[in-house]
Amino acid sequence: MSTLIHRRLTRNELNALIDSAPTTPVSLSDDHRRSLSARFRAVPGTDHRRLDAWTVEQAGRAQRGFRWSPTTARRVLGSGALRRIASAPALSIGEAVSDEITDQLLRAASGYARGGSLGYWLANASVPELGLITAEALNWATQVTEIAEGLENDWRIAPSDAFYDVATARTTLRGRRDLVVASDEHRVIIRVRAGTPGKSAGPGLRSDLTIETLAHPGGLAPARFIGVWPEAGVVLSVDATMADLRRGARDLVRTAVAQQRIRALIAA
Amino acid sequence: MATLTDSSPRFVVDALRGERQTRPPVDTTSAPGLRSVLEDGIFEVLGAEKPDSPLVIRSSSLRQLAQSTDISLSPHGRVRGILVNQVLRLLSVGTSVNSPFDDALQAWRLESGAGELLGYVDQLGSDERARLETDVTAHSITLIRSLGPVPSRWLPRSAVRATQQLCAGAVLLRDVIDLMVGTTANDVASVALFDVTTSPLGEGNERTMRYHALVETLRTSIVPLRTSTFSTATGEMWSLDVDTELLMRSAEEVLAAIANQWRKP
Repeated sequence: MSTLIHRRLTRNELNALIDSAPTTPVSLSDDHRRSLSARFRAVPGTDHRRLDAWTVEQAGRAQRGFRWSPTTARRVLGSGALRRIASAPALSIGEAVSDEITDQLLRAASGYARGGSLGYWLANASVPELGLITAEALNWATQVTEIAEGLENDWRIAPSDAFYDVATARTTLRGRRDLVVASDEHRVIIRVRAGTPGKSAGPGLRSDLTIETLAHPGGLAPARFIGVWPEAGVVLSVDATMADLRRGARDLVRTAVAQQRIRALIAA
Repeated sequence: MATLTDSSPRFVVDALRGERQTRPPVDTTSAPGLRSVLEDGIFEVLGAEKPDSPLVIRSSSLRQLAQSTDISLSPHGRVRGILVNQVLRLLSVGTSVNSPFDDALQAWRLESGAGELLGYVDQLGSDERARLETDVTAHSITLIRSLGPVPSRWLPRSAVRATQQLCAGAVLLRDVIDLMVGTTANDVASVALFDVTTSPLGEGNERTMRYHALVETLRTSIVPLRTSTFSTATGEMWSLDVDTELLMRSAEEVLAAIANQWRKP
């Protein structure tokens, strides 16, 4: 049975979801990792595979090639700004976003940004374009801050996304995370998302939960993985039960299979 | 309640949030009641039937309840509105706007990539383009002169989108707020909603102001402090403090718009 919970986004509901997270620790062992690796290896493919919650939600359908835009850059810049504020609390969100962009531009100017990187793209943007990019990053950082400031437990900005390389399967899994709420008893992960949750939001959330668990050095699962959609004012959460972790892993493998089938069809 | 200030504030931003001492405690209890009113009202309109695709309500659905022609909905009017909004976004983050038309067009191109309206701009003849440029520049200058600097500690965010599903997705309320300042993580109401229009202010703008407040309340479950609108055509600004009466009135207007849309073949 799935542990997917649907709530309105209010401060009380979010705190209640965190407080009521199960306290029984669940973890994935080396056997689980080996089993997952074997399943991914069984999916034929020549290219390196990259999977995340979005590809699961899209059922492996081919996506347009990635390109930087104010929308795709806002999370990187906004989260970077929030990490800056964590180490220098006197900074305002606006200053932190501006510093983050300046850092990227400096990286490009000093030759450290390679073609296609965020710094490279920003370096080629005009002043009004940079203004719009700043506005989007500011929107992102402010909405994450608003969510975080309503939390009653200790929280921190996630240092990075969760990455897991599936051994000998040429597959990298990426789990996005924005806030980590950690107490002595458990840790809860919050991911902030744009738009409104669709029918596949649950499988997406479970994939994030599974990747987060795999990326943990000890395989320890977060007690609960919460997805927040501020635009829709909706919260979904999924608990780290073994059943949900298995379903998350299964969805990832199925997505790899679907991706492979689509590629084979295109090649034919 | 409409705000009437003793002296005219120098900048629009000064009038947006007012004095901290006079702000009411944050209202976190009205949202569920409003949702119930809307859902009960929608059930009265739709009955047991469910539309094949959701009925989508936007602020523009409320602006024109009666059948009339609105020149702001012409391609020229829409492009002008979009470009002036881009200028607002740039100003909200402290970007200096030297050439409003070109700056706004660059920002818009980056944001939307390609689209029908951008195509409209690209196919304009030199005379028509010059007319549009002059128009956008005139409206933008009114905005630049009136807005004033937006402090970054007010947490300005622009083009804030909201979508609310009602009656299990039978009705969708969609909204975009041009500029929002203040935070919901506060004990006193501090969120101010700001809308910019390139048309002279009228009854439709009042409905839009109320609609912004309603959707924001449903989205965050917190009643905003104030909803304002500024016309770059006249330099006039209207501001309303948000209370239950205003929100209920907007709910009635939304229900009327839903009934209107449902009746259409």
